[in-house]
Amino acid sequence: MTSYSKEVIADLVGGTLPWPQTRRIMSAYKDDDRFFKYVAVLQDRVGWKDPILLPVGDHLFICQSGEERVTKCECGHCFGDYRKNWKLKAAIIVRDTEESLREIYPNSDLPDPEWMEIREFICPQCGTLHEVEAAAPGYPIVHDFEPDLEGFYRDWLGKPL
Amino acid sequence: MLDKPASALRIRERLIESERLMEETGCYDGITELELRNQDPLKFETLHTKLRAYCVSAREMARRISASPGVREVGEMVVAIYTPEGDAIALSNGIMVHVHTMSRFIKWMIRNGYEENPQIRDGDIFANNDAFIGTVQVPDVMDVVPIFHSGRLVGWAGAVCHELEAGGITPGGDVALAQERFTEGLFVCAEKVGENDEIRRDYVIRCERNLRMPIYWVLDEKAKVASCIDMRESVKALIDEIGLDYWMQVSKEFIEEGRRAQLARTRQLTVPGIYRGHTFYGHVTAGKPGYQPLGDPDWLYNMPIEMEITSDGKIIMDFEGTQPWGYHSMNCTPAGMDGGMFVTLTQHMNFEGLVNDGAWMATELKLPHGTWTNPDNEMVATATSWALLLPAYGVFQRLLSRSFIARGFVEEAFVGQVNSPMIEMGGTSQYGTLFGMAHFECAAAGSGALAIKDGLDTAYVGWNPESDMGNIEIWEQNMPMLYIGRSIVPNSGGAGKYRGGCSFLSTWLVSKTDHLRLVTSEHSSRVFDNGGLCGGYPAPTCQKHRAVRDTNIFELAKKGAPLAHHTGTNPYRSELEVRLEGRHVTMEGPYITAPHKTGDVFTHSYNGGGGYGDVLERDPVKTAWDVENGFLTKEAAEGIFGIMLDEDAEGFPVANLEATKRHRADMRAQRLARARPVSEWVAKERERVKVADFAPEVKKMYASAIKLSARFTRDFSIFWDVDAKSTFGVE
Repeated sequence: MTSYSKEVIADLVGGTLPWPQTRRIMSAYKDDDRFFKYVAVLQDRVGWKDPILLPVGDHLFICQSGEERVTKCECGHCFGDYRKNWKLKAAIIVRDTEESLREIYPNSDLPDPEWMEIREFICPQCGTLHEVEAAAPGYPIVHDFEPDLEGFYRDWLGKPL
Repeated sequence: MLDKPASALRIRERLIESERLMEETGCYDGITELELRNQDPLKFETLHTKLRAYCVSAREMARRISASPGVREVGEMVVAIYTPEGDAIALSNGIMVHVHTMSRFIKWMIRNGYEENPQIRDGDIFANNDAFIGTVQVPDVMDVVPIFHSGRLVGWAGAVCHELEAGGITPGGDVALAQERFTEGLFVCAEKVGENDEIRRDYVIRCERNLRMPIYWVLDEKAKVASCIDMRESVKALIDEIGLDYWMQVSKEFIEEGRRAQLARTRQLTVPGIYRGHTFYGHVTAGKPGYQPLGDPDWLYNMPIEMEITSDGKIIMDFEGTQPWGYHSMNCTPAGMDGGMFVTLTQHMNFEGLVNDGAWMATELKLPHGTWTNPDNEMVATATSWALLLPAYGVFQRLLSRSFIARGFVEEAFVGQVNSPMIEMGGTSQYGTLFGMAHFECAAAGSGALAIKDGLDTAYVGWNPESDMGNIEIWEQNMPMLYIGRSIVPNSGGAGKYRGGCSFLSTWLVSKTDHLRLVTSEHSSRVFDNGGLCGGYPAPTCQKHRAVRDTNIFELAKKGAPLAHHTGTNPYRSELEVRLEGRHVTMEGPYITAPHKTGDVFTHSYNGGGGYGDVLERDPVKTAWDVENGFLTKEAAEGIFGIMLDEDAEGFPVANLEATKRHRADMRAQRLARARPVSEWVAKERERVKVADFAPEVKKMYASAIKLSARFTRDFSIFWDVDAKSTFGVE
């Protein structure tokens, strides 16, 4: 069975693994023990102790916080119950003018702000930009991911939550 | 009539029985045990590898027969081998979109009594490009031949080429101006076009008299038939070796194994749950010449996708809430939607070789009736269905990628594909002859970023995993335009910790013609039709066209003065305006105008991919390299990414890490100061939503989605705490 060390997984996740090695991992059969090594790598990275149950973004995690399961930023900011849309508890910058869109798209043809706006969802504590939506004005904010957390652990990982 | 069916049943009954067995057992054709695989796994795998080799070899051979630079240069072809019931067993590389579309074509003929009339016999050749029977768009012309062994139908060999000219209302294959089926061009509707391994002369004459450039279509037909015959003979020889009974069993086991492998791979790489995303597409045609007033000229399309990964590993994609079909050429049939799903899966999940219809069987598409994904009117046009398909399956790629990130397979996460702005042309060629052609350098866009590195620059499209822009010299042989520039477009990838791949822009001088019609399609207006992931931004994919008529370029060349080779990076004054005199044109939406002539200059830009991660985490050293090589501008490095660059002794950019750190700290503080709580923004926006204070096209989009979807109506109403129907005046 294919397997990699925790150090290799850490470099892979950090984008620092040399490309030839990364390429070999991409082409090889996948390592079935990846998930828990990955979680261990991420757990080392965060500055808090709540056990990570499932990563849901580049710096966003579902974790066990006391009796609750919550969505948490890498900085420790808590967005509340993991079953709720974390974006509703975030901070937001909306780019809906030519001037604000031009800051990100300096030389391109721009969207018509009457037809589309750029929404940036930000951690109110550390300022990390967690997600960007490009949407028509008035479009409901998307709830990106509702994992079947219990089913995943029980049926796919074969381990209790 | 079949001389002797493979089983006691006729093929139509066999097909129905196969579907019944699948429904009853959950396994393909009732194959609950992989007996032959278990008996001798090595023999099993070797046989599948052989079948795949037959396909790859047949396709490569056939490409040499084609006259089309689309097939010869950029590989717009795929071939496959099918069961008698029309399920794909093995396929070649190439445009793998079509493996299941051809399956639909074969099944359509079986269901529609082709055994009786026109009959299915050894040596017959059947062709189709009708998307409601089984293809994506009118230029995707497919040929299949039955494979008989010992007088029995034992399978089919099939091939598809994307034709560069389809004889529609506008030249090329992706007929931009088609608003109904009747203007899309030459249709071949599941026809028997040849017998005894020979293409019928009357069919060739029909092609010759209905196409602007029949040499492409006709020689592609010969290429496809040659590849089918090649595969057929290889399969027959294989059956001689392994025996007919073994073949009939093993071919089905390959498919059942493909189905099981897909389910297992999903369980291995992803996390079960519900994933959601969306994108948009703007279609702007008001006032353009040629459009019939059949419907509203300007459309905003929303494409919401909900993907469910079930606990058994099945992937279900639901398009509920999207827009109705329209009087334009961007509608798609279920066959096309299958194609989009198939080509995405082959790239994202089935990278180990055993790819066939089994993978498709492990998925499900929910395509709401009456929408562009499943029109309730078979007269609609589908010639540019990729315009909506590509953005939609880009969303699918991002949804899958989120599942890979959750599971830890970050190296597979990929922000996805973008649309492929197409340029097509016709009129009088540089040789003084009639011509028509789709230019296929679009087969090399920027890709979305990965979760561990930047996207590919000018090297990827979703619809052909072997993406290739082709050589300039080949394209110049086929059209009356000369390249005066082919340039990377700086900042064209979506910004992010890892940026999207950059696009390129071509600048042409119209040459040696007094009548060149240029038409573009599959590029969004007024909205980006792609997205970023995990904090990355979408790529800037709403682009206008710039041209100059009656230029002074020959005078400039004579004087040795500088010419314009690209549009530059000043959004308010292009290089064309700086360098060239003449009538300057900037056009939004499909480029449909009066013909061009020698001395005119035209530019066409492709798309970059979306970004991944927070821009403030981007590597400064890599960014200096990007600036040095023209992928980013120094201004973007500083203004978007917060990366301060100095110059070394030779004038090359180098990252100033200390200054970058300080600048980024300022930017982060400014970001926090500028942001407000989402709850506050929602409360304010709600006031706007309550009175539907939106542009007419936005209001129309909401009203259409609400009319077609109870779920969209409910979600919208709950989110904004309004009555969506009364807000948008929907009964």
